[in-house]
Amino acid sequence: MTENGQNGYKPTVMIVDDEDMVITSVKAFLQLETDYEIRGFTDPEEAAAFAKDNVVDVAVSDYLMPKMNGIQLLSKVKETQPEASRVLLTGHADKQSAIQAINEVALFQYLEKPWDNAQLLLVVQSGAERAKLFRDLREKVEALDNANSSLKNVQKRLIQAFL
Amino acid sequence: MSFPNADVHQFAAIGRLLAGIVHEINTPIGSIFSNNEVIARSLDMLDGLLAENTPESMEKARRVVGSCQSLAAVDRIACERIRSVIRGLKTISRVDSGEPRKVDLNEHLRDTLKLTQAEFRRRVAVETDFGELPEVECYPQMLNQVFLNLLVNAGQAIDGEGLITVRTRAEDDGVHITISDTGRGMTAEQQGKAFEAGYTTKAVGEGTGMGLAISREIIEEKHGGSIAFESAPGVGTTFHIRIPVRQTRSVGQ
Repeated sequence: MTENGQNGYKPTVMIVDDEDMVITSVKAFLQLETDYEIRGFTDPEEAAAFAKDNVVDVAVSDYLMPKMNGIQLLSKVKETQPEASRVLLTGHADKQSAIQAINEVALFQYLEKPWDNAQLLLVVQSGAERAKLFRDLREKVEALDNANSSLKNVQKRLIQAFL
Repeated sequence: MSFPNADVHQFAAIGRLLAGIVHEINTPIGSIFSNNEVIARSLDMLDGLLAENTPESMEKARRVVGSCQSLAAVDRIACERIRSVIRGLKTISRVDSGEPRKVDLNEHLRDTLKLTQAEFRRRVAVETDFGELPEVECYPQMLNQVFLNLLVNAGQAIDGEGLITVRTRAEDDGVHITISDTGRGMTAEQQGKAFEAGYTTKAVGEGTGMGLAISREIIEEKHGGSIAFESAPGVGTTFHIRIPVRQTRSVGQ
């Protein structure tokens, strides 16, 4: 079992594959090995809608799917969840087209089917950690920005008071 | 993979088809592997939970059992998927005995379509319109090779998404099979050379230019039938195969 962060943060992992069996297997495995929130989607459009309204730490997607391919989905996720770690999980036959497309969206990892559970776990865990670090970093930067602007305000008022 | 029937070696498209089949089998195998691991771990966990024997551990044990049951159901679906691909491969790799056999060609078309689905599944839609057919006296494996070749050609002719339609009808003393695609179609020059041995418009490794020449030999020389096509650039191509129900003349191999 993986420990949560110190403050009890529960990362959310999104699994997207048009094959139900992949979702069931990956979900069962990750639920056994982690205490993350695991959400499965067979429809990439539904997955994109979920990522729009919910915090996502790791997005794992198949490449060849009807309606939208994995790269298109992951670039949508990038827009709504810039901190999420994006992972492509795909079969060998799509490899060439996938690699071509990977260069268009910065991916965290590329995994091939049939996947290795230990590797998948490692990728998902480090992906969740990375997303959390990015989010913390952004919060710190925002806090710094706020502190900076209030400092400037104080300085302005000080100068005004003394002049 | 080795195909005992020498003619099949001529179909370079088989290579691409196999890549599709590998992909088709990879997904269920990935699932089965993962599920096996999860079930093994779950059993260890159950062992501990049962030993603990508290209301909480029993509740958790029930959840673990439920998850294992759904994984077992997935494994079954995964195995069935693999089996249907293997069945299609068997159909293709069987060798014809010396004598023609009476078969239901609809059934053979269905088996051959199973193989191509691995490659077409998400890109090309396949519609079938099978009429009632009399049993046809033929060399079924040779005909399967022709069907496979025409279907793979049809799939390759389609850029992006498209439709392949397979239609069968009984007529006079034979059967009429059409395989149509909504692909690129052929120019007049390509149409003139389509059946020539060695003529191909495909890239190296995609085709040998032997597929249609061999298909014609199988249909016309071995079965006394006919094979023809109509095609228009940008619209698509339709192949017509006619095979007599009985082999009246002696059809030597």
